[in-house]
Amino acid sequence: MTIVEPDRTTYTGTRVRRTEDPRLLAGRGQYVDDVTVPKMIEAAVLRSPLAHARITGIDVSRARELPGVFDVITGRDLAAVAGEQPVIWFPIPDQRIARTHALAVERVRWVGQAVAAVVAVNRYVAEDALELIEVDYEPLPVVADLDAALAPDAPKLYDDWPDNVSGSLTYTAGDAEAAFAEADVVVRESFTHGRAFGCPLEPRGCIVEWDDFAGTVDVHLSTQSPNLARDLLSEVLGVPVHKIRVRTPNLGGGFGNKFDFYGEEVIAAVLSRRTGRPVKLIEDRLDSFVATSHSRDQRLDFEMALRDDGTILGLRGISYGVLGGALGTVGAGPPWASVLTCMGPYKIPNLDVTVKAVVTNRSPYGSYRGWGVPKANIVHERLIEIAARELGMDRAAIRRKNFPAPEEFPFFSGVAFTYDSGDYAACLDLAMSKVDELGWRDRQAAARAEGRSLGIGYSFHIEPSAYGPSRILNLVGLAHSGFDEVTVRMDSVGKVTVYSGQINMGQGTHTIYAQLTADGLGIPMEDVVVVTGDTDSCPYTGYGTGGSRAAPLGGAAILRATERLQAKILRVAAELLEASPDDLQIEKGVISVKGTTSRSVTTRDVGDAAYRRLLNKMPESEVPTLEEVDVFDPPNMATSYGCTALLVEVDRGTGAVTLLDCLQAHDCGTVINPMLVDGQLAGGLAQALGGALLEELVYDEEGQLRTASFMDYLLPTAMEIPPFHFFHQETPAPDIPGGIKGVGEAGTIAGVSLVASAVDDALSDLGVTVTRFPITPPRLLDLIQAAQTPIGQTPTGQARTEEDAR
Amino acid sequence: MKPPAVRYARAGDVREAVALLAEHGSDAKVLAGGQSLVPLMSFRLARPSILVDINRIGGLDRIEQDNGSLLIGAMARQRDVELSDVAAAAVPLLPQALRYVGHVTIRNRGTVGGSLAHADPAAELPAVVTALGGELVLEGPGGTRSVAAEDFFTGTFTTVMAPDEVLVGVRLPRLPDRTGVAVEELARRHGDFAIVGVVAAVHLADDGTVDLVRLAASGVDSVPVRLHAAEAALSGTRPTADVLEAAAATVDASIHPADDVHAPASYRRHVARLLVQRALGAAVERSGVER
Repeated sequence: MTIVEPDRTTYTGTRVRRTEDPRLLAGRGQYVDDVTVPKMIEAAVLRSPLAHARITGIDVSRARELPGVFDVITGRDLAAVAGEQPVIWFPIPDQRIARTHALAVERVRWVGQAVAAVVAVNRYVAEDALELIEVDYEPLPVVADLDAALAPDAPKLYDDWPDNVSGSLTYTAGDAEAAFAEADVVVRESFTHGRAFGCPLEPRGCIVEWDDFAGTVDVHLSTQSPNLARDLLSEVLGVPVHKIRVRTPNLGGGFGNKFDFYGEEVIAAVLSRRTGRPVKLIEDRLDSFVATSHSRDQRLDFEMALRDDGTILGLRGISYGVLGGALGTVGAGPPWASVLTCMGPYKIPNLDVTVKAVVTNRSPYGSYRGWGVPKANIVHERLIEIAARELGMDRAAIRRKNFPAPEEFPFFSGVAFTYDSGDYAACLDLAMSKVDELGWRDRQAAARAEGRSLGIGYSFHIEPSAYGPSRILNLVGLAHSGFDEVTVRMDSVGKVTVYSGQINMGQGTHTIYAQLTADGLGIPMEDVVVVTGDTDSCPYTGYGTGGSRAAPLGGAAILRATERLQAKILRVAAELLEASPDDLQIEKGVISVKGTTSRSVTTRDVGDAAYRRLLNKMPESEVPTLEEVDVFDPPNMATSYGCTALLVEVDRGTGAVTLLDCLQAHDCGTVINPMLVDGQLAGGLAQALGGALLEELVYDEEGQLRTASFMDYLLPTAMEIPPFHFFHQETPAPDIPGGIKGVGEAGTIAGVSLVASAVDDALSDLGVTVTRFPITPPRLLDLIQAAQTPIGQTPTGQARTEEDAR
Repeated sequence: MKPPAVRYARAGDVREAVALLAEHGSDAKVLAGGQSLVPLMSFRLARPSILVDINRIGGLDRIEQDNGSLLIGAMARQRDVELSDVAAAAVPLLPQALRYVGHVTIRNRGTVGGSLAHADPAAELPAVVTALGGELVLEGPGGTRSVAAEDFFTGTFTTVMAPDEVLVGVRLPRLPDRTGVAVEELARRHGDFAIVGVVAAVHLADDGTVDLVRLAASGVDSVPVRLHAAEAALSGTRPTADVLEAAAATVDASIHPADDVHAPASYRRHVARLLVQRALGAAVERSGVER
């Protein structure tokens, strides 16, 4: 294991406060809606009220006549000048790719699909004009959910497809059939995760200025992936990449939703081109529930084979991705990733696992923090606990039995991923010991004595991070790369600017990049400025900011660049000090001969020598300026992991779950800033706990979204979230300089199965098994009542039907 | 989510507000705290042509004891009532129930009258006023009239108020000393409208029998429901566990819940019965304590 460590780490590993915060907390942030461009006009989008229909006519004449309206466009207008929305992930060979234009041309396939757009003097007038557009729809039969989509006589979303299946792919390892045949125990379940989305508090938005004379397109975009957006805009608009500039102001959260590329940026571009004016198009909250990528929607039918000593022999099953009416930017990526990670942290020699991507009349599916891994976590964590119950084994013991040992790393999981390093058992033990220290078991026993139902849940998760080796990403169907590039430049006064293609969206990237740069060069952190969010000045990053890659990949690139830049700084300083570079040290920006304090120069002197007064100062052999560019394409990914525990109380009368306390033992390799790691873990867990209990995008049988406002789509608040306790282990990533692993998705991966585990434990006397998420009070009460009822009898009280339980 | 154009008029007094309403009829909407109306306008679900703002009308925010009852002006902010000693002394159920209304920032702006006039059947204030047999005071072109709570709410978001009437206040009977009160609510999150809510007040005579019981539920019908049968089952009895259970058993026949995205009707029935039992139990337990 080779780990490149900076010589001196003054900042790395310390709880440095975020440099971004004071400005944002004082309300001085600039989000895309705060940006005003001269002569800018504002657009709004008309959305389909029907889930599936043919458009037989659109009359925009009244809207055009409204004073203040500049332009109104329909799908035909847009399709004349723009291509279809791109898809970049094709993991399934021969997959049928359902693509649409940013505005529907002949047919709508989900409620909220964009049908027409207006641009006017302001948003108020634009929305007034939307009401004057008349669209004639011929309704088509609706494919509302997975079962409806797979029914033998199901209506088809795409007439030229044989059915509603976009594609299917099976991965195998070993001999699953034999493993199941020889197993002592087989446990199986069907798990369902409802639709949810990242719901960033700042919805999406853009300003596009199309300059017909220069042939340029200047874009302000709330995105996690400006380079990707620029490439895809180029594809869709037919404008060469070098004529497109994408700038990203402050981002009010992304959560993967803003990784994806959306139709609105294309609509705004077309409107700008037609009007000759910059066009702002902000997704408001109402739009966001139907127009921002949905995710999570999956059914997972899986079974696990075990020996009676708890050894897992095999895992097989199918992950159904309930996609929308067209494929989003990442296609069937998330449900596919569930299959890649469904074995989790366990050694499972025999696998037979399938992804099946199915289209329905719902909003398109896309990226959301955790991607497919939270659902994979449900599969392995639920099944291993069910198996433990069946075998009468301790939940921790059965997990421990199936972990790869530290010396077995790098460990090939059987499908695609090789986990780089770890000590899973130590992490589990750390979490268990903290459960004891916090006295949860005593609280549980005391509550039980009072007739209350407290439960302790566990979840062990893996988080493949640092996405990823470019050629491997290409090999598994990504039409994009996975490297990261940074530029580190020391200027003529010895201060440093770091340019990165990553985006800062609340995770504190600027702070950790400044920490690493300061340590890498030996300068004060205050001397470092980090610049992101402008494709004209910042380098290219593969993918975007997602896949828990900004810290490990950007961090590695910074460490490699600063190592070289520091060497050059010392060479220049050596000329100034008439010493050998090997004898010099740099600390807090002061360069001196090791072991002496008498003669020294500062980075200011070095900057001056490299940029302005070179004569007799800059070595003849050196190129002027002080700049290093580094491109880091990782040889392997980095796999973080953790063990999370949760204390809950279940009200058996109502099925309501209260979260009491939560802890996580976690290993993300080298910790750059423990405070920010804790923040990532807490935020991710809060999101997962919301997904486990509260958040659901509910569609009815007509394909209408029933939870399209904050009245009904329930984000967790501080009132619902328990206290968090975090404990760190550090097993460095062997393939990443600096040993850094990603941490952005840990909480979302761990937290959903976790709640189920705790609820099961609270109701252990009843033998309840939670398989459907979110766990709403009516759904849990159903499980409780069913468990309390002797077989053959109906529950007391009201008659309940399947329909009731929805 | 931008509202359509709307005209705005600020009423100087109630008479002026009534005149504006009379002039514009059902196109006009009274603007109190705006916590429901303004979002509805942004959704373009409410489209008044004119807003009649009653925020600046003096004297509509009083909270005072009057002849054995508590009088609350329509413009009293929910947070002010929640923190009012006068309100707590007369009707201790109020501060308890108000803590379930949205969050502090919403209650700072939201008004008692606004919540009652909006008539959301899942809201807490309409349930409290219904449980206690409060009277709503309305002023219209013909003068002032009082309407009993059970006659005031006629359906989801609808009341007996005429388009040219303004709700000016509500009168609640003072609860005797040593009345035990309780609020039981099942909501998905703190501050949400309840799936089911129950408010209860119980007073025990010296011999330990119930001589006053007030009980209402929200979220179980198109209006808040006074649970008369359950009250009758408890009145005059010693409130043992069996009696509470028998009282709760009457709830099923008193309510007409509907399905929605958060819970089916059958779940609401189950929970209403359970929460009535819990609320009555808690109110009994808290009764007999000097305020």
